[in-house]
Amino acid sequence: MISPEKIMFTLALGCCGLATAGYLLSLLVKKVALAKASTWILAAGFLFLTVNLIVAAVNSGGWANFGSRHFLSVYAWAISGIYLGLQFKTKTRILGAFIAPFILLFLITAAGQGSEKSLVPTPWQGWFMTFHLVLAITGEAIFVLVSCAGAMFIIQNSLLKHKKLGSMGRLLPSLGDLDRINHLGLLWGFPLLTLGMICGAVYAASFWNHLWTADPKVIWAFAVWVIYGFLLHQRLAINWKGLRMAVLSCAVFVLFLLSALLIRFCFSTVHRFI
Amino acid sequence: MIVLVGLNHKTASLSVREKLFAGCEGKTNLLGELSAIDGVLEILHLSTCNRVELVAAAEDAPQVLAALRSFLVRSGNLTEREAAACLYGYRDEEAIRHLFRVASSLDSLVMGEAQILGQVKEAFRQALAGNFTGIALNRLMHRAFRTAKRVRTETGIAANPVSVSFAAVELAKKIFGTLAGKKVLVIGAGEMAELTLTHLIGNGAEEITVANRTVLQASALAEKYHGNAVGLANLTEALSDADIVISSTGAPEYIVTAEMVRQCLRKRKNRLLFLIDIAVPRDIDPAADDISNVYLYNIDNLQDIVDENIKNRHREALKAEQIVEEEVAQYSKWLKELKVVPTIVSLRNKAESIVRMEMIKAQGWMAKFENGDREKVEALVNGIVNKILHAPVVVMKEESSEFNSQDIVAAVRQLFRLDD
Repeated sequence: MISPEKIMFTLALGCCGLATAGYLLSLLVKKVALAKASTWILAAGFLFLTVNLIVAAVNSGGWANFGSRHFLSVYAWAISGIYLGLQFKTKTRILGAFIAPFILLFLITAAGQGSEKSLVPTPWQGWFMTFHLVLAITGEAIFVLVSCAGAMFIIQNSLLKHKKLGSMGRLLPSLGDLDRINHLGLLWGFPLLTLGMICGAVYAASFWNHLWTADPKVIWAFAVWVIYGFLLHQRLAINWKGLRMAVLSCAVFVLFLLSALLIRFCFSTVHRFI
Repeated sequence: MIVLVGLNHKTASLSVREKLFAGCEGKTNLLGELSAIDGVLEILHLSTCNRVELVAAAEDAPQVLAALRSFLVRSGNLTEREAAACLYGYRDEEAIRHLFRVASSLDSLVMGEAQILGQVKEAFRQALAGNFTGIALNRLMHRAFRTAKRVRTETGIAANPVSVSFAAVELAKKIFGTLAGKKVLVIGAGEMAELTLTHLIGNGAEEITVANRTVLQASALAEKYHGNAVGLANLTEALSDADIVISSTGAPEYIVTAEMVRQCLRKRKNRLLFLIDIAVPRDIDPAADDISNVYLYNIDNLQDIVDENIKNRHREALKAEQIVEEEVAQYSKWLKELKVVPTIVSLRNKAESIVRMEMIKAQGWMAKFENGDREKVEALVNGIVNKILHAPVVVMKEESSEFNSQDIVAAVRQLFRLDD
C-alpha cells in the first residue's frame, strides 16, 4: 500500500510540474492569466508538500531525523512558501516562471533520494541542529528568490531602456516591485542565514569544542554570508538600488551555485547530506 | 425585424453631426414621436458626439426604414444631398451586426475605447424607462452588452493605450509598480504635459511641482493641482525630489542636462527616475538615458509605442469581428424563432383547453377512482399531448431559424384550426 507521505509528495510534485509548465507557457503566450492560475496550482502543491513534511516528521520522530528526500523537500517548500507569501505584497505572478523550475528541480532530485537515510548522523541530532538547518535553508531559499527577481529586473530594464516594452514588458512585473523583492529578500534572508550560521557554530562548539570548522561547505556558507551582508550594507547604507543590485544579486547567486556544485562533487565535507 | 438608421463620424462631417444631434436633443418627446411612426414596435435612440442612430423593432422593415430616415432628415434639417451622403440604413442581420460593432467599440473613432458601451447602456436605460422597448430590443441590447464584454475580455482590443499621455502612464506603472505617493515635476506648461499630469494624478500620483521660467505662470498650473511652483533656478532641487518628470517647454536648448540628472540621482539615493520629454526641440539631454535607474522617453518614443498599440488593436479587431458574427448568428436565430412563438403558444393553449374539457367530461366515471388515480390519469393525458406537440414545435423552430417561417406557421394554424 502506498503511504500517505508518498501520495502527498507525488501530488506536490505533480502540482509543481503543472505550475511550472503553466508559468513557462504564460511566458510563451504572454498571458498573465495563465501565471495566475499556475500560482494557485503551486499553492496547492505547497499545501501537499506541507502535509507531506508533517507526516514525514511524525513518521520519523522529528525534523532532525529527516532523510535526504526531506532535506530537498524542505528547500522546495521554503522557496515556494516565500514566493507565495510575496504574492500578497507584490503583483509579481510571472516571477513564478523563474522560481517554479527551481522548486521543481529540488522536488525531482528529492524524488530520486531515499527517505530512510537520515539527514543528520544520530549523534549530531538535536534542536540546535534543526534550527541551524531550517534557518540556513530558508535564508538560502530567499536568496534564490532575490536572484530570480534580479534576473527579471535585468530583462525588464533592458526592454524599457531600449524602448521595446511590447507584450513581454507588459507581462513582466514593474521594476519597482522587483527592486522591492530584492530589498525585502536581503532584509529577511540575511538575518535568517546569520541566525542559522550562529546555531551551527554554537552547535559545533558544543559538539566539537570549536566554533569554526575548516569544512568546504562552512567556508562556502561563510562566503555567502559575507557577500550578502555586503550587498545588504550597500543597499541600506550606500543606497545601491535598481540595476546594480539586480546584476550583483544574480552574479553572486550564479557564483555560489557553481561553487556549491564544485564542493558537492570535488570535496569531502561534514555537510555531505545528499 | 430589426432596423437601424443613422450617421456617424465616418459618413458625416462634424457640422452635419452637430445639426442632427441638436435637432434630436431639442425634441422633448423624441422616443414618443418615433414610437408613433406606423410600423414601429420598439425604438431606441443612441446619440454621442460621433454618432446619432435609431434602432427599432419593426413590422415592415422597408417602410419603417424610410420613415425613420425622413424623421432624421426633418429633425436635423438636412438637405437631400446631405442625407444621401451621410445617412445609412440597415435591416435584419446587418442592423444587428452594426449595433454589436458599435457597442464593442469596433466602429469607434478610437477603436477599443470604453466610453461607447456606457453611452449605449444609457440609451437603452432611457428607452426602457419610457417603456419604448419590448422583447426584441431588450434581448438585442443585452446581446450587444454581452458581445461588448466578450470582445473586451477575449481580445486585447482595449489592452494597451493608444494616446501619448496614457502610454506615459503605462510606462510609469511599469517602472514604479504603483503611482501612489509618487512625486511629479512638470517643467513648462504645455497642453500635453497637463493632460499627462491629469492621467498620472488619476492613477495615484500625489505631490505636484511645476517649474517654469516665470514662477507666476507656474503658480497658475500648480494651484489647479494643489502643487508647488518653482522657478527654473530651483530645477536641480526639484529634480532631486521628483519620481516622474514631464517636460514641455519651448526652450531651444536642454533644460535638464545629463550632469544635472547624475547629480540629483545621488541626492535622491538612486531611486528610479522617469523622464518624459514631450518638447520639440527636446528639453532633456538624451545622454541622461544612459544613466542607470533613469528612464527617458521623448515624444517619438511614446508615439512609437502608441503606433504599435494601434497596430495590435487592429490585429485584435479581427478576433472581435468573429465574436460579433457568432453573437449576430445567435440573436438572429432567436429572433426568427420568435416569429413562431405566438403559434406555439396558441397550439399549447388549444391542447390544454381540450385536455381540460375532456377531464371535466370524464369527471362522472372518474368519481369512483381512489386517491391519486385521477392525478395519474391527468398526468398521463398531459404526457401524451406534450409528446404529440413536441415534433411540430421543434420543426417550426428549426424551419423558422433557417427559412422563412410563414409557410409552416400557416400550415400549422390551418391543420390545428388555431384561428377558429
